[in-house]
Amino acid sequence: MISLLDCFFYSISSMLVASSLAVILVRHPVRAALFLVLSFVMAAMLWMLLEAEFLSLVLIFVYVGAIMTLFLFVIMMLPAEESLSWKKWRGFPFALLLFALLLSLLFYMLKHSLLLGASASPADTTSTYTNTQAIGHILYTQYALPFEMIGILLLVAMVAAIMLTFRGRRVDAKGQCINKQVRASKQDQLKLVNIPSEGEKG
Amino acid sequence: MSLSFAKRQINSLLLLELFRGLSITGRVFLTRAITIRYPEEDTPISPRFRGMLALRRYANGEERCIGCRLCEAACPALAITIEADVRSDGSRRTTIYDIDAFKCMHCGFCEEACPVDAIVLTSEMHYHMEARGENIFTKDKLLAIGDLYEEKIAQDREKDNA
Amino acid sequence: MLEAWLTLIWIVIKILLIILPLMGAVAYLTLAERKIIGRMQARMGPNRAGLFGVLQPLADGLKLLCKEIILPSSANRFLFIVSPILVLAPALAVWAVIPFSEGLVLANINAGVLYLLAMTSLGVYGILIAGWSSNSKYAFYGSMRAAAQVISYEISMGFALAGVLLASGSMNLSQIVLRQAGGVWHWFVIPLFPLFFVYWVSAIAETNRAPFDVAEGESEIVAGFHVEYSGMGFAIFFLAEYANMIFVSTLAVLLFFGGWLSPFEGIPILGKWFAWMPGIIWLLAKISLFLFLYLWLRATFPRYRYDQIMRLGWKILIPLSLLWVIVVALFVYYHVGIWFA
Repeated sequence: MISLLDCFFYSISSMLVASSLAVILVRHPVRAALFLVLSFVMAAMLWMLLEAEFLSLVLIFVYVGAIMTLFLFVIMMLPAEESLSWKKWRGFPFALLLFALLLSLLFYMLKHSLLLGASASPADTTSTYTNTQAIGHILYTQYALPFEMIGILLLVAMVAAIMLTFRGRRVDAKGQCINKQVRASKQDQLKLVNIPSEGEKG
Repeated sequence: MSLSFAKRQINSLLLLELFRGLSITGRVFLTRAITIRYPEEDTPISPRFRGMLALRRYANGEERCIGCRLCEAACPALAITIEADVRSDGSRRTTIYDIDAFKCMHCGFCEEACPVDAIVLTSEMHYHMEARGENIFTKDKLLAIGDLYEEKIAQDREKDNA
Repeated sequence: MLEAWLTLIWIVIKILLIILPLMGAVAYLTLAERKIIGRMQARMGPNRAGLFGVLQPLADGLKLLCKEIILPSSANRFLFIVSPILVLAPALAVWAVIPFSEGLVLANINAGVLYLLAMTSLGVYGILIAGWSSNSKYAFYGSMRAAAQVISYEISMGFALAGVLLASGSMNLSQIVLRQAGGVWHWFVIPLFPLFFVYWVSAIAETNRAPFDVAEGESEIVAGFHVEYSGMGFAIFFLAEYANMIFVSTLAVLLFFGGWLSPFEGIPILGKWFAWMPGIIWLLAKISLFLFLYLWLRATFPRYRYDQIMRLGWKILIPLSLLWVIVVALFVYYHVGIWFA
């Protein structure tokens, strides 16, 4: 007899595998990105099953809600040609090597990880326990330094990205100074001039 | 200068202009709607309103129009077609007096031009046609309209003179 | 086994008890919008269908239901049909964690606010996909604008919510409300007023409503991401937009205005007079006030230009919210006032 939880687990994880495969097999980039979104959602649901609701919701909020939207944003603006071709096998051996490396690393981790033993049953599921607090506690005590360093690293990456694309202020760039627009008053813009009519004089 | 600078800063920091806008819409919200519910209520119109055309008669039933064609000449839209002939009693009357309502732009020049006050514009604006050809107002039709609206025309003139 | 089924049925009934009144509220919010904006322009608004136009939403719904659903010939069929559902689903899913009164909540989860953030961030997918799958310039422009705007304002909204989390020390919505108990002066709007301002402006931008409705921009891009939709497809987008408006107002009430708590709590005489009022009535009254504010703003302000929207979001609201989050953290650390005692 399979329990309801097992049922959920197997259906979700099979969908996760299927959508992950679809990400690399589907030809259209937008569809691939959408399948990636689907696989993120499925992964979030798996985490939810493990009662890691903080991580699961953050995965949806950050990856699905922000990062993938930006990805889609860019991909949608690409020309609609189906750019992926099956004929380009050039990088295949390298990809295979990388794949084997990652797979062996994964198995190694699984074998030696303490996480595997611990994740079989979530540690404490009483009503007062919130894993948000637990994560926060660990992040800001034990891992405070790495956490802050990651923050700085991201800041550096952001500055670098801006530096790469910023080519200085163009002289002929058209723009408007909003403060100046707001400050505009009738006295500066409008001048009433009295011009005597010519007919009267002649 | 510095005073106006401070004033401007306060203005933009406290969003005073936005609140002024909100107060205007808020005030209007509390006043009565000025809508006129059309089929039930009518927009008030001037007694000089230039609406549907009509041909008038004298009190004894004789038609006023003498076929002088001044209205035809005055009409800027060339909406009026007139043919005139001598009637059996020797007086000059129109045989055809057609006004194309599609061409007519209700300028009222025909009424101005008429020496005998025969062609007039009533203050009626609710009229319509249902078939092709009905837009040509013939002499009979115009006279019938005149009979129908004689009282209304008199009332409007009285109001205008008052 | 039977018991499991019964709980399932009970949950479905509870869901219906939330969704059906919500749909009614959406229908009558459209009427209220037209009536109120009409009055603000010294007009009457719809008054033909039924007495004072009360049947107008039903007439509109019936009309949309009977209309033909047109599939553009070069549209991506599957995504075109799926995207209205993708917009509506998160708009309804958020109501699962909204507490209507003490204990009156479908799922009293601890990460309530986080769940709301996750769900609202999903809503943009439907818009993006709708614009892309329609294969129309206008729809695509609309969805691009909507997506960029929603992403930008999500950040300042997230910071505003983070400030509330700091102040209340909980992500559970019921507990956030209960932390504000004890009278009007305990409501978070007082210490967190700048965050409330940031939240409310970003909320209007998030729901793509006037004066931030460039995504719709009827004067330049016709109707934005849903130009190609007709009949029920369009109606579902409409439904989701108004459901989101109600949700955003509800969240403002829960986080900053004491949710279902009576405003007369702790006031000597008035407090006793209104003690009999159930909390849900206070909640609904406060939500209605915020919805009125929504419509009032729409009737008053012209549409922002696109670059002005981006400037407001990135250069004003985000720094302001960041600053006030730090101020709130200091408040909490030093136990300032009655709110953080």
